[in-house]
Amino acid sequence: MSNANQMALALKEMVGEANAILDPDRIKAYAVDGMAPKAVVAPGSVEEVSKLLAYANAEKLAVAPRGNGTKMAQGGVPRKLDVVLSMLRINRMTEHDVPNLSLSVQAGMTLSALQEKLAATGKGSFLPLDPPYTSQATIGGIIATNSSGPQRYLYSTARDLLLGLKAVSPNGDIVAFGGKTVKNVSGYDMTKLMIGSWGALGVITEITTKLLPLPEASATLLVSFETLAKAGSLTRKVLHSALLPSAMELMDRKASGQLGEKEKYLVAFNLEGVGEAVERQVPEIGEMGKKEGAVDTKVLKGQDERSLWLRVRDFALVTKAPVILKSNFVISGQAEILGSYEKMAQDAGVDCAFIGHAGNGILTTYILENGVAKTGPLVDLIGKFTAEAAKHDGNLVVESCPSELKAKISVWGQPRTDMVVMRRLKEKMDPFDVLNPGRFVGEL
Amino acid sequence: MEKESMISELVRLVGRENVLSSAMHYRLYEYDASLIRSKPDCIVLPTSTEQVAKVVKFAHDHKIRVIARGAGTNLSGGSVSIQGGIAIVMTKMNQILDMDIENLRVVVQPGVVTLDLKNVLAKHGYLYQPDPASEKVTTIGGNFGENAGGPHCLKYGVTSNHVLGAEIVLADGQVVQVGGKSLDNPGYDLMGVLGASEGTLAIVTKAVLRIMPKAEAVKTMLCIYNSIEDGGNTVTAIIGAGIIPATLEMMDNLTIKAVEEAYHVGFPIDAAAILIIELDGLKDGMDRVTERILAICREHNVREIRVAKDQAERDKIWAGRKGAFGAVGRLRPNYLVNDGTVPRTRLPETLAKVVEIGKKYKLPIANVFHAGDGNLHPLILFDERDKDELERVHAAATEIMKVCADMGGTISGEHGIGVEKLHGMSMIFSAKDIAAMKRVKEAFDPLNLMNPGKVLPETEKAA
Repeated sequence: MSNANQMALALKEMVGEANAILDPDRIKAYAVDGMAPKAVVAPGSVEEVSKLLAYANAEKLAVAPRGNGTKMAQGGVPRKLDVVLSMLRINRMTEHDVPNLSLSVQAGMTLSALQEKLAATGKGSFLPLDPPYTSQATIGGIIATNSSGPQRYLYSTARDLLLGLKAVSPNGDIVAFGGKTVKNVSGYDMTKLMIGSWGALGVITEITTKLLPLPEASATLLVSFETLAKAGSLTRKVLHSALLPSAMELMDRKASGQLGEKEKYLVAFNLEGVGEAVERQVPEIGEMGKKEGAVDTKVLKGQDERSLWLRVRDFALVTKAPVILKSNFVISGQAEILGSYEKMAQDAGVDCAFIGHAGNGILTTYILENGVAKTGPLVDLIGKFTAEAAKHDGNLVVESCPSELKAKISVWGQPRTDMVVMRRLKEKMDPFDVLNPGRFVGEL
Repeated sequence: MEKESMISELVRLVGRENVLSSAMHYRLYEYDASLIRSKPDCIVLPTSTEQVAKVVKFAHDHKIRVIARGAGTNLSGGSVSIQGGIAIVMTKMNQILDMDIENLRVVVQPGVVTLDLKNVLAKHGYLYQPDPASEKVTTIGGNFGENAGGPHCLKYGVTSNHVLGAEIVLADGQVVQVGGKSLDNPGYDLMGVLGASEGTLAIVTKAVLRIMPKAEAVKTMLCIYNSIEDGGNTVTAIIGAGIIPATLEMMDNLTIKAVEEAYHVGFPIDAAAILIIELDGLKDGMDRVTERILAICREHNVREIRVAKDQAERDKIWAGRKGAFGAVGRLRPNYLVNDGTVPRTRLPETLAKVVEIGKKYKLPIANVFHAGDGNLHPLILFDERDKDELERVHAAATEIMKVCADMGGTISGEHGIGVEKLHGMSMIFSAKDIAAMKRVKEAFDPLNLMNPGKVLPETEKAA
């Protein structure tokens, strides 16, 4: 029997025939950067994941964990790919401690399904994460890629929310870190190490997180400007005030237009929490905007409000942008960097839309369909964007791009001095390169 | 290496004025705020990153252990040189390097005292949130190494949520940058795993901290109870009502009496428990939320409610809370403090068990805790000269850890494992969990020279 056949048999035995895809035609859909795996398996339990990884470790197979696949275009080209590990069947809420405001949920559940359940239980609560791909993104994928959205301005990201997690190590060990208390310094904080590690140190099977009570009230304020400098000035004033919006997004004219608003520089604020505080902040920020020279303000509530934020979160889907870049830098650099990016893109003749988390120093560039044809200028532009972010203590990560482009650029930005530690961590924790080889920072 | 030649080499590297090696100095640096004592072989107080790197490289080349140390206020033996070696005391590196208010960041050396930094920031109208009770003396480096908490962590998170970047010296003396002023730097979250690693992975020589504008309004309430159960149930009910205040602190009668005797802050000495509840944020709606909280207190038989009218009254309440350990320390020659943490809804039943354990071992236990976090601080009072009592103290402490673990909690919420709680690690982690942590240790420190014998227990069974 050939090796391939042996593997097929072993995998089927581990997860059951119905949960292993071996037919090359069906497998194609699971290719990563054009590289098709030999098998796609969907284990039904953590124990099955453990068996699978122990087998892969022994046989030196390369495994790529996967949820709904919304981020499979992200990361470096795999060095090797044997098995795609679908986590979709491991998708239960394992504990919802309502009075304690904590939750344990498995990797394969989608965030949207989870939020629905949480909102409907007791007085209602939510997990304050609002990453892209709203209806599809799974908990495991969101945490493994540290995906976040506009509301991180108030609620921060997974590293500040998670209390613990369970994972399967590359050798098959089932491990649990942290716990369900809001404070915990027992042992190393492996939870934080696993968040955003791209499944390269272990496959996350379950997380335990804090929850927040649903806010009493919510409103959205849109403030438009003719110039970027004025819009930037408003975000700066709000950032340094005592006001507490949950989101503060700065976008260029193109993005604003794509969202169905006037083609102006737009600052979108989400205000939520105690009713009185929402009622006060909407007019107050509106006034601040007018002082900065706003040409228009608009208040959204209810369905209009929800629909706007959905379109912001899912802007990649709205625009079908084939290339998405995420730049990070010091907070005050937001307007200046957006301005230089706009100019650079114009000079290169590449069509872009920009949306930034103005209170966090994160800017997402969506390169639109008609910009991608010009690979040469695009490669050059990504280099310039990266250098500009680096000037402001930052970097640039390519969040999505066609495989052909990956050969010509560094999808993880400029390497930093801590690469030496990351390399050693990967070698120690995954000595046989089982998990996602080649896809993470430094081609780890 | 001979001690004498080690000392003369260190003098050559950092200067005579930065090396201590007298018998008196060994005694000064042999302890922290736990019961553990052990002398280092030499003490250096470097004044720059370069000096730290040189000392660490020298130690690495000669396979000498190194233990980083700040003010030594940590509570679990984490900074005690239990296997000898060079104590690297960071207190001379105490400069605020960059007040980057525009970017809501400050860059500090690790020896900066936490409260000193907060006072400087307050002048500009900004805050660094973590507020360990020892903030008057503790250093930022130590806070990060232990991942210190404090009352306001309920709303704002612990130290590691506020330290976003660092310059670190690795075990071989290499200096690398981790994280930074910007968020979401690509790669593994090394900052995340460095927090609470107790100096076992690297030595921080610079830290980038997140600061935020001061809140517009603050409201501080002192709620007085005749029964500790009522106090505990109030905490559960407030969180259950979907209100997360900035702080939810609790003290029992023994602590209240000790604090009042020491500081005269106006706590009623006959009360069974007090809660310190603080709200912060926008002023709008705060009165209504306050009223909701007070209604919950009344439903749980609160005896008296005092709402601080001004900053002076607020300061007085907090002086009582922050001085609690010191005040309790006056009652008996020694205390051992646990910091087991439980899901906050299980606080009342955990407390009852702690009281039982005190009775069982015939030991007075004072309780002061971050109730909203479910973070207990039973202070077990004793006299270490009484060997029998000392044995009972350790047995009681272990039993309390076990209770917390059994409640679905953990053995340490904010004080660290150090040496003191090593034997409790198996109550919450499997051998495989610990083996995974050990791989992180090996990646950072292959020769096991950085603060060896801390955080991770020996596990022969580990796979």
